[in-house]
Amino acid sequence: MSAPQALAQILERPDVWRGDALASAPLPGVPTGFAELDAELPGGGWPRGGLVELLPARTGVGELALLLPALARVSTDELAWLVCVAPPHPLYAPAWHEGGVALSRLLVAGAPGRDAAWACERALDTEGVGAVIAWLPEASTTLLRRLQLAAEASRTLLFVFRPANCAGHASPAPLRLALEGEGERLVVRLLKRRGAAQPVPLSIAIHRPVRLRHALACPASAAPAARSLSQPATA
Amino acid sequence: MRLSSAWALLPELAVQERDVPREQAALHRLACWAGAFTSEVCLAPPQTLLLEVAGSLRLFGGGAVLFERVVAACGEQGFVPQAALAPTPLAAQWLAAAGDDQSCLALTDLPQRLGALPLSALDLSAQHLARLTGFGARALGDVLRLPRAGLAQRLGAGFAANLARALGELPDPRARFVFPAIFAERLELPARVENALALGFAGRRLVTVLCGWLAARNGGISECTFAFEHERGVRQRPPTLLTLGFTGATRNAERIGRVLIERLQRLELPAAVEVLTLRAEAPEALPGRAGSLFGERGEGATGDSVAALVERLQARLGDDRVHGLAALAEHRPESASRPVMPTLPAAKKSSAKVTTNVAAAGPRPLWLLPQPQGLTEIAGCPQRGGPLQLLAGPERIESGWWDAAEPAALGDVRRDYFVALSRRGQWLWVFRCEAGWFLHGMFA
Repeated sequence: MSAPQALAQILERPDVWRGDALASAPLPGVPTGFAELDAELPGGGWPRGGLVELLPARTGVGELALLLPALARVSTDELAWLVCVAPPHPLYAPAWHEGGVALSRLLVAGAPGRDAAWACERALDTEGVGAVIAWLPEASTTLLRRLQLAAEASRTLLFVFRPANCAGHASPAPLRLALEGEGERLVVRLLKRRGAAQPVPLSIAIHRPVRLRHALACPASAAPAARSLSQPATA
Repeated sequence: MRLSSAWALLPELAVQERDVPREQAALHRLACWAGAFTSEVCLAPPQTLLLEVAGSLRLFGGGAVLFERVVAACGEQGFVPQAALAPTPLAAQWLAAAGDDQSCLALTDLPQRLGALPLSALDLSAQHLARLTGFGARALGDVLRLPRAGLAQRLGAGFAANLARALGELPDPRARFVFPAIFAERLELPARVENALALGFAGRRLVTVLCGWLAARNGGISECTFAFEHERGVRQRPPTLLTLGFTGATRNAERIGRVLIERLQRLELPAAVEVLTLRAEAPEALPGRAGSLFGERGEGATGDSVAALVERLQARLGDDRVHGLAALAEHRPESASRPVMPTLPAAKKSSAKVTTNVAAAGPRPLWLLPQPQGLTEIAGCPQRGGPLQLLAGPERIESGWWDAAEPAALGDVRRDYFVALSRRGQWLWVFRCEAGWFLHGMFA
């Protein structure tokens, strides 16, 4: 075997890539629903069988709205289960339903402390689970490494939310995104991916409950109207 | 030989008294266990169990494979069986007694195979054995060569009929073992056990027996109870009970065993355990599952593994921490979302009426705080890390007098909801009522 051939073979491996290009993914990713983000991710979407670490600046900036199109696809089109591990607040069913998630295939596991990672691992090696979304604020590097290995062994999407101040720490996750709200859009910084570094943050138009231009001109005044006024005047 | 002379010859001899009731209990347990292989089981006390496997050969992939599996599984139960496979029950009994474990599947091979057996394997009375030896017979083959009519005349019709049954010339009907209506099996541990996890090994044995019983009854269970009886001491403690629940009827020993181990990990034993009892009542009919031709990922195939996941999570985290979600047609936000038992395809439909097309009036947040959080108000504007920018609203949600008297219900409300954007880029759902401003959800 000649040397160039051997090199070409090595370059075909999914875990080896050129510094100026994106790595090829062993499995096609799940489309995120945002074309500009798909173009920047190896595999053209959220990677199956890999840990995706999401670092939102604070809860409520739009981190779930970023995942919702992919989750809806997994849940409705692939008929796979979604498992939410240790969400910080109770999930509100009508909104998830409206977002396209089949509630009949949604499982919520409130797992404190170390049990959360255990629950993730169990969910990852269960057949029929399409995506695992976990909130692991206290996860150590060893634990994330274990989750990454568990995710590699399965075809499941694994999203782990951690606080934004973890961005400076090393992480075994092959894909790391920092999220920040900017008005109506969500600013996504690709901290790490398999491929060339992407220093320019992406501004993504995620689904927001209302358009910003609809902002109320003046804050509503005083206490809500008394009930007697809201009833018809003629009785 | 008397016991005293035996001890004189071998002082270190350990003597154990034979406990016939325990032997019979063990045989009964094995009969239940054998239900995993066939529903036609016969007890032949004191020590023999007969399985009629002709109907199971295809399912298990042939006689030799089935025979090996039965022997191996019996070993897992802690017994070393002398087993044999033969076309007639009596021939199998004789072959097993002689320790011949080569399986014999054809009726025509029987005379030759049986002929090699020594007469001592036949469990004959001393009188018959003496007479046959007197005829010059050493092995069964010598007896089979003698004229059958003459044998019947000299040794009785019963002996000749037995020979005919063993060779398959006469039918040999046996009384079937009746699988009990309620499963309750006891296992005495060889030594006292103080560590709950160590009970898992014995527990799994009982679970295997349970699954055999369920297979014979063609059902599954959704609940079973382990009772751990503690050692008899100065203070007799009541047995510790451990109830395992499953999301749907199952008879998968692996699945039951895993839930058992998870529960044992969290169990603290007040005293050492000597006896293990497993009880299960009312097996539910288990729907048959059609194998898929092309191995595609279907709802039915994945339902079972997800059900097993739910059970394992519930066993470790607690039942109320693992749940699904249902949206209800209700205008008050707190009542519109409810945790429910996950709706698994195998499980029965949950009684709660779950509406699937909930048309919400306004935008609804993905997260709803369990309790609204009070917000400070400066100059008529709610604050959370700076003044909130109100983007949409008000959406008036009010009334609910009908459950005001119920303790856990929300009761009457009157709120104006707004979508708000904080200075830090958080999209919030806030409301205002007579008590002031509150944060109720996050759009995330």
